[in-house]
Amino acid sequence: MRRFFAPLLAMGLATAGAAQAEDTLSPLHFQSQGVFGSIDKAAAQRGLLVYQTVCASCHSANALHYRDLEALGLTPDQAASIAQGVKLADGSTATLDSPFKDPAMPASAFGGALPPDLSSIVAQRKHGTRYVYELLTGYTTAPDGVTMLPGHFYNAAFPGGQIAMPPPLRDNAVTYADGTAASANQEAADVAEFLTWAADPNLSTRHQIGLRAVIFFVFLSIVAIASKRKIWRESRE
Amino acid sequence: MAETAATDALSHGVDSRRGFLTILTGAASAVAAGSIVWPLINALNPDARSEASTRMIVDVADIAENTAKTVQWAGLPIYIRKLTAKQIADAQAVMTSTLPDPAEFTARVPAGYQNYVVVVGLNTGTPCALEGNAPADPRGDYDGWLCPCDGSQYDPLGRVRSGPAKKNLAIPRFKFINAAQIQFG
Amino acid sequence: MTTELKHSWAGERMPGLGCLCACLFAPVYKPGSKYLDTVPALIAIMLAFLTLSGLVLAVYYDPWHAFASVQFIGRDVHNGWLVHAYHATGTTALFGLVYLYLFRAMLTRGYRAPGELAWGLGVKLLAVLLLVGWLGFVLTGGAAAYWSLFKASNGALALSGAPGAIGNWFFGGAAGGNTLARLEVFHAVLALGALVVMWLLFSARGAVAPKAEPGKGVAFFPYYLSQYLVALAVFALIFSVLAFFAPHFGQPRVNALPGDPLTVPVAVALPWYLLPLVGVAGALPGIWGGILGVVGALAVLAALPWLDRSGRGGAKGGLYCCLTWVLALDVVGLGVSCSPLLTALFTLWYFFHFLVLTPVVTAMEAK
Repeated sequence: MRRFFAPLLAMGLATAGAAQAEDTLSPLHFQSQGVFGSIDKAAAQRGLLVYQTVCASCHSANALHYRDLEALGLTPDQAASIAQGVKLADGSTATLDSPFKDPAMPASAFGGALPPDLSSIVAQRKHGTRYVYELLTGYTTAPDGVTMLPGHFYNAAFPGGQIAMPPPLRDNAVTYADGTAASANQEAADVAEFLTWAADPNLSTRHQIGLRAVIFFVFLSIVAIASKRKIWRESRE
Repeated sequence: MAETAATDALSHGVDSRRGFLTILTGAASAVAAGSIVWPLINALNPDARSEASTRMIVDVADIAENTAKTVQWAGLPIYIRKLTAKQIADAQAVMTSTLPDPAEFTARVPAGYQNYVVVVGLNTGTPCALEGNAPADPRGDYDGWLCPCDGSQYDPLGRVRSGPAKKNLAIPRFKFINAAQIQFG
Repeated sequence: MTTELKHSWAGERMPGLGCLCACLFAPVYKPGSKYLDTVPALIAIMLAFLTLSGLVLAVYYDPWHAFASVQFIGRDVHNGWLVHAYHATGTTALFGLVYLYLFRAMLTRGYRAPGELAWGLGVKLLAVLLLVGWLGFVLTGGAAAYWSLFKASNGALALSGAPGAIGNWFFGGAAGGNTLARLEVFHAVLALGALVVMWLLFSARGAVAPKAEPGKGVAFFPYYLSQYLVALAVFALIFSVLAFFAPHFGQPRVNALPGDPLTVPVAVALPWYLLPLVGVAGALPGIWGGILGVVGALAVLAALPWLDRSGRGGAKGGLYCCLTWVLALDVVGLGVSCSPLLTALFTLWYFFHFLVLTPVVTAMEAK
């Protein structure tokens, strides 16, 4: 059902499309990291496509509404049509809910491992953006001497090493509208940027306003100090 | 607080010797105070969730001809009806001067989508919900809506035709954002 | 224009207003005040700012869906993320100022007569603010907040007799929506109480402020107003850096997870300003040990004017000054220490400093 509108979204992205993505993988860096970081909207859109195609079949993002996706550069129409693709009566006002109608189902189906809600996962893990990337690309064969629990996979980035989620990404699991090569690593990086946005949608605005505020208050401090000295000097005369 | 007191005091007879620097400081402090306080005031404007429900989007493509869909908006029941060609022709043929509350066909239907009628589903006489959304409902003599409380009858455009009610059904603020969806507000 | 105002139009009709005009315009202040003396005014401004942002947050906060309502504020309310950052960074800034104020008063020995009441009110302000801060933290509904409330409310439930009844009254039963609903009200009421304590503190500080020699004084406007403006501008600069670039400064990361009765965090996690007190509380075992530790730590701090045996206007000894710096390091250590042994040692030194070192060293240096 969700795969139905993935081409729809791809078409939508084509109208919003930009040039090929810059290479953020070698070395690995995210536009959202750092003091002056901002959300890379193109990467976040690609990440949204990966999220809806792959992750949304098990995970929810309850704090996100479909209308919030407009902040990534989608038009209200495109956001509404994504919501429509998931056949929700509420339209754009609906949240990105769990695909499982019965809340107990996923835990019982996956042996007690409930797929966590991803709305704020980047804020909930240390160095969240990088953690998501390393988790998605961290599946390897178990080293010698490690006994795998049944139904678990070895992941170098997961605390304890044994994760119940099977490797979700593979090359060309999605087709990006802007022509970026959809390697598994690229998909992981894009989904990490999308989830960074999801956890902190105001990151770009915050840094932008912050820079202006700091510059302004530096200016105000200088002016206030000069003014104070002038007043005190005149009082001594 | 401190900055606003400064600007007040400075505007009340500042010594002209003080001059440019103090006025600059005062002005900059006022700008700072304003831009710090403004987000607090703006935060009390309707939040995104209220705005979304005020600017609700409804799908209308799935409404069958001669049927009406009911939605809730701004605490009111809204009926969205799709008209048949015969109802449109009949409605256009009516002499508006004979109506209790005269209204032209073009004033009752949205431009460009003239087979849709969107009205507030409350009788304008005794306040009461109306019947007539499904084709099988009792609709009165004019194939529109009927009020079960006081017997007022409306035509498919929501114009009052007979009964104690004197005014046509109210039309909410809306527009077609594409051929399949309307947005209120 | 200045003292005549007292007898002027306003002063005739409302004597308090006349006094206010006199405060602002009469040349009674000693020139040469340090910038650090502006800290109490900054504390008052921060309290007012926190009240404003708290009011806006309270419009949207829902104690029955605490975590979800905080998410709602951050995502759906216009500038909600900024109001939240104002309130969170404001708390950090406020405690930084209060700790700075108390530490400086200890260094300059400002708590000696006639400043005992001012000092006591300062400690009382710290105590009230710590409680308000803890309540505010608990209201966020995160994992760390939920379990902190759980410990406190279930601990209160476990007490018997009068303390149990009071605890039950305060928390309204086990941790849940009903608890948060009343704690929201207590948070607001106690914050207003802090404003009252602040006002009393300002009145008491009037006794300690250095008086100007007649004819040599300066008026508040525009001399000290310009100095306060500088302090405010620099403070706003620091505040902006924190609010916009580190909005979660000092908050435990695990609090970004929703509070869940079925998932317990690995370690107790509280905001930075509560950590030293929690360290002292953890040193003695059991609920009563915790209560005793907290009350004792604050009581001993409040009793400082009487523990200091150097007498009014006595010499400021160098050794005691060094010991005060050591105390500051000790309090920081109480906050960051992970090992129970270290925490116990730091707690011991804390009480040793006040109950033993202070009387002995100050008496020694006064001679």
